[in-house]
Amino acid sequence: MNDQGTMGGKAMPLLLMAPALLLLALIFLWPWLHYGWLSVHASSLLTGLKAVPNGGANWQRLLQDGRFWQDALQTLRFAGLSVLLELGLGLLMALSLHRPSRGRGVLRALMILPWALPGTVMALGWRWILNDPYGPLNGLLQALGGRSYPFLASPGTTWAFTVLADVWKTTPFVAIVLLAGLQSIPRDLEEALRLEGAGSWTLLRRLQWPLLGPYVALAVLFRLAQAFGVFDLIQLLTGGGPAGSTESLALYAYLNAMRFLDFGYSATLMVATFLLVVALSLVWLGWMRWQGARG
Amino acid sequence: MASLSTRRRVLQLLLSALPITGIGMAQRAGALAGRRPSAGQVAPPDSTGQGPGQTVSVLMPAPFADATAPAVQRFNRSHGSLQIAVTRGPLDTEALSDLASSSLLLGESPFDLLLMDISWTARYAAAGWLAPLESLLGEEAMAGLLPAARLGNAFDGHLWRMPLSGDTALLYWRSDLLPRPPRDTAELVAMARELQGQGKVRWGYVWQGRQYEGLSCVVLEVLHAFGAHWWNGQSCRTDLQSPAALEAITWLDDLVRSGISPPGVANFAENDALQLFSAGEAAFLRNWPYAWGLIEQEGGPVSGRVGVTPLVGAAAGSGGGTLGTWGLSLLAGSPRPHAAAEVIRWLTGPEVQRELVLSQGYAPTWQSLYSDAELNASHPLLTVQREALSTALLRPLTPLYAQLSDVLQRQINGLLASDLRPELALARAQRQSDLILRAAGAGQP
Amino acid sequence: MMRILLLCWSLAPLLWQLRTSFLVGDVLVGEQSQPGLSPWTLANYRLVLHGDPSLIQVLLNSTVLGLITTLLTLILALPCAYGLHALRGHLQRSIHAGLVGAALFPTVLLFLSLLQVARSLGLANHLLALSLPYAALSLPFAILLLQAAINDLPPELEDAARLDGLHTLQRLRLIVAPLLTPALASTGLLVFLASWNEYPIALTWLSRSDRLTLPAAMGRIASSSVYTIPYGPYAAATVLGSLPLLLLVLLFQRWIISGLTQGAVKG
Repeated sequence: MNDQGTMGGKAMPLLLMAPALLLLALIFLWPWLHYGWLSVHASSLLTGLKAVPNGGANWQRLLQDGRFWQDALQTLRFAGLSVLLELGLGLLMALSLHRPSRGRGVLRALMILPWALPGTVMALGWRWILNDPYGPLNGLLQALGGRSYPFLASPGTTWAFTVLADVWKTTPFVAIVLLAGLQSIPRDLEEALRLEGAGSWTLLRRLQWPLLGPYVALAVLFRLAQAFGVFDLIQLLTGGGPAGSTESLALYAYLNAMRFLDFGYSATLMVATFLLVVALSLVWLGWMRWQGARG
Repeated sequence: MASLSTRRRVLQLLLSALPITGIGMAQRAGALAGRRPSAGQVAPPDSTGQGPGQTVSVLMPAPFADATAPAVQRFNRSHGSLQIAVTRGPLDTEALSDLASSSLLLGESPFDLLLMDISWTARYAAAGWLAPLESLLGEEAMAGLLPAARLGNAFDGHLWRMPLSGDTALLYWRSDLLPRPPRDTAELVAMARELQGQGKVRWGYVWQGRQYEGLSCVVLEVLHAFGAHWWNGQSCRTDLQSPAALEAITWLDDLVRSGISPPGVANFAENDALQLFSAGEAAFLRNWPYAWGLIEQEGGPVSGRVGVTPLVGAAAGSGGGTLGTWGLSLLAGSPRPHAAAEVIRWLTGPEVQRELVLSQGYAPTWQSLYSDAELNASHPLLTVQREALSTALLRPLTPLYAQLSDVLQRQINGLLASDLRPELALARAQRQSDLILRAAGAGQP
Repeated sequence: MMRILLLCWSLAPLLWQLRTSFLVGDVLVGEQSQPGLSPWTLANYRLVLHGDPSLIQVLLNSTVLGLITTLLTLILALPCAYGLHALRGHLQRSIHAGLVGAALFPTVLLFLSLLQVARSLGLANHLLALSLPYAALSLPFAILLLQAAINDLPPELEDAARLDGLHTLQRLRLIVAPLLTPALASTGLLVFLASWNEYPIALTWLSRSDRLTLPAAMGRIASSSVYTIPYGPYAAATVLGSLPLLLLVLLFQRWIISGLTQGAVKG
């Protein structure tokens, strides 16, 4: 539709947009002003939860807060590995959904089910599946003659299972985005390559993967930002433990607000996490651009 | 069949921890697990705050809800119009606090009373979530308590909490291998080393070094043992860089370095340490009074061969165990403060505490119970518990305790698990504690 | 072959929960079922259905909140998308970029501010009030989707309508909205899903047990310690809480997927 000027300048469009934009500003912009302001104030139990200027003491604390830096690294580790695995598995899923077949609708529906379910619902399911010693995974280990393993009790390995649970849940999302990309590739290009005798692998390497570029970029960007804010899964699957080894930044900020009632520092953590997400997204976009310019 | 009953217990534990479920579901869970629901957990359906009667609702961790069930049942039978409805909260201390604070933060609480850990008092009082008790219970409400049991209940000049139990950490020692318990830390190390050298035990001393609240208690005790202090109540700052503190933490660290405590102690909570000790693998154990019953009941290798004594210090009179009591608080905004106060008076009173000593081994807080001959006869630990209570140690009484504890746990656990130097760990803990206090507005109006 | 494997991967954990939900507690903790007694039971379902709050109440809360949120989001998003479509130039591009940014954003970071809003305005425990932040969280994506759909409409239609003398709001209501029905439906489905699944804000806004949504109710169970979860009843709650979504996905997978792919292509 092209209706340049159909609404009599900008007034009418802006009027139509006003309610939505106002609500968006209230929910998305105001918090950052609020957090920014709060992050240079003390607002804790010592101040009766009222905001008292503290001259950047929150930020000074953040820089020396071992727990913050540990959580930042853990969150980055979680996000990086999850997104990488989701991309690989998602591509497989997208390719298998792309091939025409009978009952594809039901197949798709069942495959996207994990994504459609609330994260909280399966987070506890995983806790049961990984239970030591009664969960099925340990049942399998014992049936194979091994000893049951405390999957969720070892700081060294527990985080890997949080990644597993996240990959299980969000791979379908990545798959659907990539599927959109696959379906945007003209059929005759695929046919032409096939006629030249190319197998699935060649097809993927020479045609599909290069053309999927923007979709991969988008899926990764979205997932990276979301995974960096991981909260539900961690809170419910491990509670951040053992010994804080799976705690994410969002969970730390949550605990500071809800458990320690230190709103000033919680806001500081929010701002810091936000800045990290932005930085991460920019790095990814820059890298994609550089790749695009090179290739 | 023994394993059947154990598993049934596990299952009951699982079912009992359904917090959403609140009252109704806990009842059904009990019924399902093949146990008759006790009236203590369940409000009679017709007494939910209406009519002539009043119902005081109490949130407790599951074990306390079970332990007090008979007493509550009796209370409900004898008081027609005033009823107690207990909600079983999660087992985990912090999970219980989270459940309570998430509703308190929004300004609505479905409960009148909350059974609180001693380390929450200052936090909850500063948040304005509690109602002062002195006007309801009288200024002399704590007069009959042992002096140490009065600690941690008042803050900022008001009484916020009445203790239900008076547990302190204790030192368990092998009376079959040693003629008497150690008098001080040096002797503890010497005895442990000798027994290890003779091959009688694999480890000398087991305690809790995992990064969690238990480690903070251990550190509090060790600091005190060497004459140092975690918290300076005058300046309202932590005081972790004194020479005495360094001496204390170096001693703790050396226990691991010199092989008196296993390297795994850095990952031990109460039960891990208890397991090792009750398997006969260690000469000394630091634990809470509940361990006594388990050591004696299990019929394990050391049952009947264990003595209990207050934790020892580096010099005479510097020993002491952390005070780990639970107590009832009245939530601000409760519409029935007087009825709730009556419930507090009953549940924390001598009669119920006497029952809890006999059924659970919880240390009482009333002076009169410690001189009760009958009670002493049936519960031999009482003498030791009284002695331990007289030197009990209070964790820093500040609303920011949880954060300060987190910092200390992190640094000391890091020290135990790696090559960090004690002075560095303490310097970091001190610096971060200062930063937390300043960022939270310490010293501000 | 690949498909079977992938399908197993997606479904196996869910099927395991299904199995768990029908098992007697003793069997779950490794006990052989007692001779003569079936290991299968409906007790877990009875427990969650008759609990306080009943899972029925919880599902009802989630459904009501989801429907209100969806309605509110669409009512706000449609005019906004139409207006955005009509805008041109720098302003349109910056608003568009802002919306993309907001759609990508991890919304959990907003909870502290929203908690303060709930505290100071007394909005806690009101499902209707909760639909405001929920609608806002879904708006960026909804606006982008609908705007893309409006862009796809043939421009002649609106020109003709304008010549017929219909003013802007009439054109939106009589011409654009009916043509957008499929896009509205798939957007609505995605908004409903997002609202059904939201956790952190529900966690901070709702404390009364009769107001909990499904994720918050599940979260309450989980917040007890690692070793003390009633897995059987929990699995039953999982199954009951998943059934509506399973139905939704089976019936509307085409629209859900087209919504997502549209979002990916146009966003």
